[in-house]
Amino acid sequence: MRTFGYTVARSPAEAVRIAASTSAPAYVAGGTDLLNLMRDGAQAHDHLVDVNHLGLDEVAFDSRRLRVGAGARMRQVAEHPRVRREFPMLSEALLASASPQVRNMASIGGNLLQRTRCGYFRDAAAPCNKRTPGSGCPAIAGHNRGHAILGGGDHCIATHPSDLAVALSALDATVHLLGPGGERAVPIAGFYLLPGATPDKETVLRPGELITRVDVPRTALAGRSRYLKLRDRATFEFAVVSVAAALRTSGRVVRDVRLAFGGVGTRPWRDLRVEDALRGRPLTVQAIAEAGRLLVRDAEPREGNTFKVELVQRALTSILSELGGLR
Amino acid sequence: MSGLVGQGVARVDGRAKVTGAARYAADQEVPGALHGFLVMSTIARGEVVEIDTRAALAHPGVVAVYTHADMPRLRVPDFPYNRPYIPMQDARVHHNGQPVAYVVAQTLEQAQEAANLVKVRYRAQAPVARMADVLDQAFLPDRFRGRANEDGRGDAAAALAQAEVRVEATYSSPMQHHNPIEPHTTTAVWAGDGTLTLYESTQGVAFTRNMVTQAFADDPPKDVRVISPYLGGGFGAKGPTYPHTLLTAAVARLAGRPVKLVLSRAQMFTSNGHRAEYRHHLRLGATREGRLTAIADTSTAQVTRLDGRIYNSSDSTLQLYACPNVHVRQLGVRLDLPTSSYMRSPETTAHFGLETAMDELSHELGIDPVELRIRNHTDVVQQTWAGGEPERPYGGKHLLECYRAAAEEFGWARRNPRPGTTRDGDEYVGWGMATETHTYGHIDSEVRLTIGPDGRATVRTASQEIGTGTYTVLSQVAADELGMPLGHVTTLLGDTTYPAASISAGSSTMPSVVGPVSEAAKSARAAVIALAVADPRSPLHGVPAAEVVAEDGRLLASGDRGDTYRDVMARHGQEVTVTGRKPNTRGHSFGAVFVEVRIQPRLGRLRVTRVVTAHDLGRVLNRRTARGQVIGGVTWGIGFALMEHTMVDPVTARVVNPNLSTYLVPVCADTPSVTALFVDEPDPDSQALGARGFGETPGTGVPAAIGNAIHHAIGRRLRDVPFTQDKLL
Ligand SMILES: Cc1cc2nc3c(=O)[nH]c(=O)nc-3n(C[C@H](O)[C@H](O)[C@H](O)COP(=O)(O)OP(=O)(O)OC[C@H]3O[C@@H](n4cnc5c(N)ncnc54)[C@H](O)[C@@H]3O)c2cc1C
Ligand code: SF4
Repeated sequence: MRTFGYTVARSPAEAVRIAASTSAPAYVAGGTDLLNLMRDGAQAHDHLVDVNHLGLDEVAFDSRRLRVGAGARMRQVAEHPRVRREFPMLSEALLASASPQVRNMASIGGNLLQRTRCGYFRDAAAPCNKRTPGSGCPAIAGHNRGHAILGGGDHCIATHPSDLAVALSALDATVHLLGPGGERAVPIAGFYLLPGATPDKETVLRPGELITRVDVPRTALAGRSRYLKLRDRATFEFAVVSVAAALRTSGRVVRDVRLAFGGVGTRPWRDLRVEDALRGRPLTVQAIAEAGRLLVRDAEPREGNTFKVELVQRALTSILSELGGLR
Repeated sequence: MSGLVGQGVARVDGRAKVTGAARYAADQEVPGALHGFLVMSTIARGEVVEIDTRAALAHPGVVAVYTHADMPRLRVPDFPYNRPYIPMQDARVHHNGQPVAYVVAQTLEQAQEAANLVKVRYRAQAPVARMADVLDQAFLPDRFRGRANEDGRGDAAAALAQAEVRVEATYSSPMQHHNPIEPHTTTAVWAGDGTLTLYESTQGVAFTRNMVTQAFADDPPKDVRVISPYLGGGFGAKGPTYPHTLLTAAVARLAGRPVKLVLSRAQMFTSNGHRAEYRHHLRLGATREGRLTAIADTSTAQVTRLDGRIYNSSDSTLQLYACPNVHVRQLGVRLDLPTSSYMRSPETTAHFGLETAMDELSHELGIDPVELRIRNHTDVVQQTWAGGEPERPYGGKHLLECYRAAAEEFGWARRNPRPGTTRDGDEYVGWGMATETHTYGHIDSEVRLTIGPDGRATVRTASQEIGTGTYTVLSQVAADELGMPLGHVTTLLGDTTYPAASISAGSSTMPSVVGPVSEAAKSARAAVIALAVADPRSPLHGVPAAEVVAEDGRLLASGDRGDTYRDVMARHGQEVTVTGRKPNTRGHSFGAVFVEVRIQPRLGRLRVTRVVTAHDLGRVLNRRTARGQVIGGVTWGIGFALMEHTMVDPVTARVVNPNLSTYLVPVCADTPSVTALFVDEPDPDSQALGARGFGETPGTGVPAAIGNAIHHAIGRRLRDVPFTQDKLL
């Protein structure tokens, strides 16, 4: 790891100012991802701006939304009684993430910006288009069990690893930013980019922009939600496939539904066509199966991850059956 | 005897370990030590053309950057040095992640960053990385450590041709890594008189000393001392000696300063061996009554371009069941990967195939899996072509008792044998079992026992504490034989200034060292009693020595006459020192493991929900540490079965998951509580108070037992570990 400077910022504006005035800066919150990336040589920075003391650690409710400060810790949000009650999928997604130790350290802002677990990306000696643009993507012909079946291409097939981002996608959250050019708010659906030919560019964040908070609209639907995570060991592991689902039915008919998927896409995956296919129809195994087929219609599986095509459909069936009382 | 042996005594070093007082190798603060860091190759095959060290040398704090150009020439030591070459002796690169330069700096961080700044240019050749691509080039490697790769008895081919029932299948397991939590580390200190001291994390201080001495034979140190009082796990990774140790010693000599090296986790994936990828093609022949008539196992394992060492033998295939016709062939295929090595319970790869095939046979025949094993039980060590020894009975083998005890505890009698018939909610429940067995070794060891003027005892032997409880058990054995409270005995390990002792690998610590400790304690007790009865100041003066017994620190004779170790030794005023030796022999330990799994086949979700084991390890020396071995073995068995897997890139032959966040090992939630039963019968053949080597036996059957339980749950036969959820859908 190369030598770097370090400043503790005392306010969001100060953090942005310091970042704007230093070369190759990065914000550091819990450091649970950033420091590993720097140690592994996957990322290098000249200056770190500590954003743990900006007063951005609220978890607050107003009449319309839940406001989560970027500096709130994963544990704080996951265990908040009202989050558990009103946004079960959010709490479950966080509790299914990492380990208690990591959740105590890791922030919401850092979680949204954590980088892919693709082994080639984290090995500075391997080629990787995301880390070193133009060097190639060894995962496509190599080990890709953990990789995406949706939203990839010839340049990169890495999944976005955040469980939180999947839940927030299903919940139509908004990410609030502060940058040298001022404040702005970006709906999460527009926050993450597909890799295209520039997999190094993962979000719409502009240089020096700070995440200040995430807003989640309060809806009755959110209270009827679940997060299902499938993985290669019981805890402390990223998703092979995950589904965040919220469902409201009257009688058997689907009144409203929100779905987002993890482990399958190059970004937290939301496909409105899948929800549209269910909305207004009776919730049956067949209807879910049709929606699932729609989800994977454009899937591009590779040698190691073909099983995800089937597994994600089964996960969808499982979570909707449970939420809809189908068994 | 005070009955201490066998008790579940708590670890005598437990407090030091949990408070941090225990000094592990890298905790050793050596004044003036520099920090080393290795630069590893990024190609798998070819040679170094140029190394540009200018930027690294310009980095603050950097003292030197060594390459093959200036590394002293060393001699390749014999086994247990694990490689057929020493890196950095020439420009050749044999695998990805091989040391090509060695940076030495004032701080670790400086050394690490300077290592990033070393620029290496290579002439690379395309490596062969995948076993599947070159299976047609499999060959029968030469014997290794005197052992042939082809063995058996009778005529398996003929017996198979005539068999009433046959099972034939291929069972495979991937490359795996030991991953002890403590990384490998060496601190090399050369004294002015030419003595080399190594603070090392090693499973065998005496072996490391020997290997280092051999490597430096052209310019020998005056002496080599190796110190390794505690290990944070080894699992075989620290058994053989590896290049980093030799290179660090060489570099410290060049630099004229002590050098400390700690390997990074990623470096551990190419520096210290691994379990090779294996395929076992197995054929069983049997009568309709379930008697084995033939076992043929042709296995293929990864070896390297330069050597053909096969580390995972097929002992259970040859010996576990009574079978007149057996044929084992262990083939190798050459890949451009590091040399493999022994990894925790090495025999598991072959045993996984055998115990799964036995389950398949039981299903085929409609005979209960336990009953099938009972019908093929043997109480004799069977002859093999290579083994040479005539057939002879085991001194003790209580495997039948293990089957009975574990089956009863588990409730096996209630099992409905038809696969896919037991459900609980949306989960299918499967019960499976397997036999457990592993070879244990023995290496002649010596112990020095001193009774001080304070009447307390100190045991010294160059054995090791690798986390298994060596300090505790040796103290127990000594205290028991001396007739002293446990707290009056101190055991000192892991230093080559103590008498040479066994490597802590191959389950050989207890069989090798317990006998010598017990012998030494016996002599020491006799010596102190002799002092007492000869001393006119002792109440025991004149009592025949044979009539004095030692108990709880006191020396007692009839008629209320007594003395104490403390008083006798205080009057004597000087130490009493004795040595103990007791050769032993190698052998096998046995057991049975029963597991319950619950599977949601729609999602491929699997949980191991119950594990019951029963083991025959001869005499149990400490129930608590023995149980610890069972829990650890079962946990690793679950890892082997469900998740452990090193991935190598097919193009670059580079490990893709060299860290603990992508090389998965079980967490607590994957591991149910384990009911561990012991038969606890002394083995008359063992010179270690009837105890056998045991550490590697638990877990050997777990992968097969889980696979067999999966078959019972959902009717699907899996033969390729790890059993990940995609295989269960
Ligand atoms: C062993 C392990 C297992 C894990 N398992 C899971 C899992 O199962 N599911 C899961 O979702 N995650 C998992 N994680 C990832 C973990 O959740 C993230 O590492 C963590 O959330 C990052 O938060 P942090 O505060 O530590 O971020 P940091 O490491 O401090 O920063 C991460 C990134 O975010 C940037 N950043 C931080 N805060 C801000 C801000 N306010 N504005 C702009 N940029 C910012 C940093 O510059 C950096 O680029 C795991 C991590 C580990 C180490
Ligand atoms: S999948 Fe993406 S992150 Fe992984 S190697 Fe390819 S380009 Fe890099």
